[in-house]
Amino acid sequence: MTRTVDGEHLVGQPIDRIDGPAKTTGGARFSAEHAYPGLTHAALVPATVSRGRITAIDTAAAAAVPGVITVLTHGNAPKLNPPKRPTPANLSTLVSGTQVNYLNTDEVHWDGQPVAVVVAETSHAAREAAALVHVSYERLPAVVDFAAEEPNAVAQKGNPVMPGSAKKGDADAALAVAPVTVDARYTTPQHHHNALEPHATTAVWQGDELTVHDSTQSITWLRKHLALRFGVPEAKVRVLAPFVGGGFGGKGFAWPGTIIAVLAARATGRPVRLLLTREDVHRAVGARTPSAQRVALGADTGGRLTALVHTSVTRTSRVGGQPEQVTAPAQHLYDATNIRTAQSQTTLDWMPNTSMRAPGDAIGSFALESAIDELAGELGIDPVELRMRNEPERNPIDGKRFSHRMLREAYALGARRFGWENRSPEPRSTRDGRWLVGMGVATAYHPAMQFTANVTVRLAADGTVTVRCGFQEMGMGNATVQAQIAADALGVPFEAVRVEYGDSALPASVMAGGSMQTSTVAGSVLAACGKLTRRLSTLARRTGMQGRTPTEILTAARVPFIDAAVGSDTRLGALAGQARMLAKVVRDQRTWAKAACGAHFCEVRVDADTGEVRVSRWTAAFDVGRVINRKTAFSQLRGGIVMGIGMALFEEALVDRRTGRIMNPSLSGYHVPVHADVPPIDIACLDEPDPTMPLGILGVGEVGITGVAAAIANAIHHATGSRIRDLPITPDKLVT
Amino acid sequence: MDFLRPTTLDEALALKAERPGAVPIAGGTDVMVELNFDHRRPEALLDLTGVAELAEWSTSDGQVRLGAGVPYTRVITELGDVLPGLAMASRTVGSPQIRNRGTVGGNLGAASPAGDTHPVLLATGARVEVASVRGGRTIAAEAFYTGVKRNALEPDELITAVHLPPASGAEQFAKVGTRNAMVIAVCSFAVVLRPGYAGVALGSAAPVPRRAAEAERFLVAELPWQTPVPLADSLKRAFAELVAGAADPIDDVRGSAAYRRHALGVLARRALTWAWDDYRNNGGERQCA
Ligand SMILES: Cc1cc2nc3c(=O)[nH]c(=O)nc-3n(C[C@H](O)[C@H](O)[C@H](O)COP(=O)(O)OP(=O)(O)OC[C@H]3O[C@@H](n4cnc5c(N)ncnc54)[C@H](O)[C@@H]3O)c2cc1C
Repeated sequence: MTRTVDGEHLVGQPIDRIDGPAKTTGGARFSAEHAYPGLTHAALVPATVSRGRITAIDTAAAAAVPGVITVLTHGNAPKLNPPKRPTPANLSTLVSGTQVNYLNTDEVHWDGQPVAVVVAETSHAAREAAALVHVSYERLPAVVDFAAEEPNAVAQKGNPVMPGSAKKGDADAALAVAPVTVDARYTTPQHHHNALEPHATTAVWQGDELTVHDSTQSITWLRKHLALRFGVPEAKVRVLAPFVGGGFGGKGFAWPGTIIAVLAARATGRPVRLLLTREDVHRAVGARTPSAQRVALGADTGGRLTALVHTSVTRTSRVGGQPEQVTAPAQHLYDATNIRTAQSQTTLDWMPNTSMRAPGDAIGSFALESAIDELAGELGIDPVELRMRNEPERNPIDGKRFSHRMLREAYALGARRFGWENRSPEPRSTRDGRWLVGMGVATAYHPAMQFTANVTVRLAADGTVTVRCGFQEMGMGNATVQAQIAADALGVPFEAVRVEYGDSALPASVMAGGSMQTSTVAGSVLAACGKLTRRLSTLARRTGMQGRTPTEILTAARVPFIDAAVGSDTRLGALAGQARMLAKVVRDQRTWAKAACGAHFCEVRVDADTGEVRVSRWTAAFDVGRVINRKTAFSQLRGGIVMGIGMALFEEALVDRRTGRIMNPSLSGYHVPVHADVPPIDIACLDEPDPTMPLGILGVGEVGITGVAAAIANAIHHATGSRIRDLPITPDKLVT
Repeated sequence: MDFLRPTTLDEALALKAERPGAVPIAGGTDVMVELNFDHRRPEALLDLTGVAELAEWSTSDGQVRLGAGVPYTRVITELGDVLPGLAMASRTVGSPQIRNRGTVGGNLGAASPAGDTHPVLLATGARVEVASVRGGRTIAAEAFYTGVKRNALEPDELITAVHLPPASGAEQFAKVGTRNAMVIAVCSFAVVLRPGYAGVALGSAAPVPRRAAEAERFLVAELPWQTPVPLADSLKRAFAELVAGAADPIDDVRGSAAYRRHALGVLARRALTWAWDDYRNNGGERQCA
């Protein structure tokens, strides 16, 4: 299956990304870079109360700014259909970031909700005028303080993919009698994705035909959503997103900017470009929920876990938001005799939360993997050894089989590369001048899923191959890896394959999320290539050209090209496809526990007196199944670790607990890591295929960030003796 | 908004006298941020990058005259030996791009309590040279900062240079930030030792960058000037307390007042140790914190 004409496998090679030259030469056009005749520019006006009703909007001063075309508010905006209530039975309904019908209501549901938009000839005029719109409100009592609301949290409803709670045995009883215990509370703040490219939309109506260039991770669902909201048939809507400047989940759903840009284009009859400001990105796009968690562990003196309790409280909004699988790692990581997990949530007058890289798992693994380290300390057992003593043979919570699990091997590999055996067990035992040096470890774990995607592949007599699939490329390298896969499958050179993606006019694909895009698209590409190979051998037999190249066979058969399709984009086809996909996902979930996993090893240096932390060394060994492209896959894993460093040390939306306003909606106030904060990161992958996944792929987009914050917290504890359970670990927490 | 582009200092001063509302722009690393966020909407910008006189430095009468428009990168590469304290502070500013554009004149113009050069200018006893069509004057650094982001310039004046004595003893600068680069100081500290002189100043710890006069007097009185021995811990601790006591910090998004006071004490102890060690070993340059 994986073979090329010259006998070399392309799968696995560190091939340069196809879109690299376009990006480095400025040739790539992002969503805010499409020029249309008569293009206009829009700017949003955010609400300044957390809950209330608009009593008046004075737009006179804004309208008087030269270049302003119109100011749209709920008083004069075109009517929109409200978003559908989200239901897992129709996945595309999930794509609405909120339940608010923007500019069609006088209700305000969060501080920052757009309540008006200015459309102008230039972006400067639009922004200037937006600042002059004066909105009066009748304020209503608002609940905005997550910490204060925590006691009122209610149990999360579960679904087959994400149970709200899970149980094996009686963990609380076991905890009460365990000879060694740890019982601690951990908190994480609201995090923002902060992709390099702020969310952007260019919307163009021609009659009732809509073209939207949008920085989306979800072309197919966005198209459906826009058709619904604007009351036009899906066939009339085209969403294009060949280049997206990072997403991390923040561009998975339709946020106000996209809807309002399309609305403004409809109202003005002109193309509209809306590029969010960084402040808009923080105030008008969902973020990662804050969390408060409890992890309680009980063990016998030999380090065998007898009790594992992990509970969480997160935040959703009155107008949307999702539960997060914060306690999921506790169901898969340790062979505890008794386990109880429970997730609950609060509902606030707040921007709905949304997925951010490894939703749930990223913050849940911080708590669980910190607690395991604490337990190792209580027991006096090396934290790697403790994990190995509790490494399960079967999925701990329900006894399902692992499709593949090589966490032991990942630990062994990582420990060797990192030099873990040189670590002295005692905390605060290594000093280098003013720096206290510590080493920490934590497990990375992220579930693997495969959905379905529609794909067509064409093999032409000139030897070229065209793969067409409406997947999205946010910088991960998906077009490159699918070209590698198709080239190997058809036995053609890499350069012969052209991949078309990022356009809703192409066969419908899944959203880029859940680390499932590569495996999902690969499954369909392989199936289509299999069909082509069979057609080709039939033709070869018929023409007596067995063993010859595709070009020779097709030429001899006088066939200019052959096509193969997987899935169907007709209405019925789409419905059948979704049913098939859900059935497969549920079946898969019932049969297997599947995941990518890994082991993080890091060294930190903590200034003993100021509490400043520097991460000085990193090794991570992963089991992500088969690696298709060492370069792009390793970049994903490395990027996850960098993001995790931010989560551990810097990132925190500071919230005014009285008003519900974010106080640091900018990159100067919300710190992400800079180069000087990132050490060289050594990545190793076992590269063993998972037998149940296409090509053995388990996904690399999210697993990298899981466990990172815990590894750092554990290393800081080893360096200083201080256990910090509240992220981010800022210097002040280490000196008091 | 007008964009005024003088090519000589006289022309710049005439323009500033004519239009006191014109905002000078040097590297633009503060001004452009303010414009982008619409914190400021001046009637005109007065671009100083075309004025060659401002981008020069020279030495005369035992003083370095550093033109207001010399970017940090040049302070580091050209004046690292002569003005080690200022060079240390310059190295911690922003990123390479910011250091290529940003200037000491701009740091003074902005007069942020967190500006990195201020503690060094205060501790070295620098004087700020300003000019207008009415003539020139120099202002002692400690008289220059008048409030949060306020300075002693008259509306028609421009900063033309800073006068600093070349290092003759030891100079140290230290800063705490919430990450490893591109960071506004949570607090910062400078100490300068010359025979019989001690300059001590702190930044990001009060409404204005300020000298710690008591701490300076303490050093002059208590340092073992005649016998170059390592400093006693008790002396360092007493010094750190005086420095922390000179601060008047606030809680903000970058750090709490309590942490700032604590960290200033640490920086003071450390920087004094380094400076004294340099001083008694005849002033070698050291890496800053
Ligand atoms: C990303 C980033 C990181 C930064 N990091 C740091 C940091 O780490 N430490 C730090 O201290 N600062 C930092 N800054 C702030 C800024 O870079 C410094 O304050 C710098 O010194 C400003 O110099 P400039 O030449 O760019 O000033 P400009 O922006 O040109 O001017 C700043 C102010 O000074 C006035 N001005 C300039 N020249 C004159 C003159 N000759 N006469 C009168 N007034 C004048 C201007 O009108 C303006 O009010 C950072 C800024 C950015 C954008």
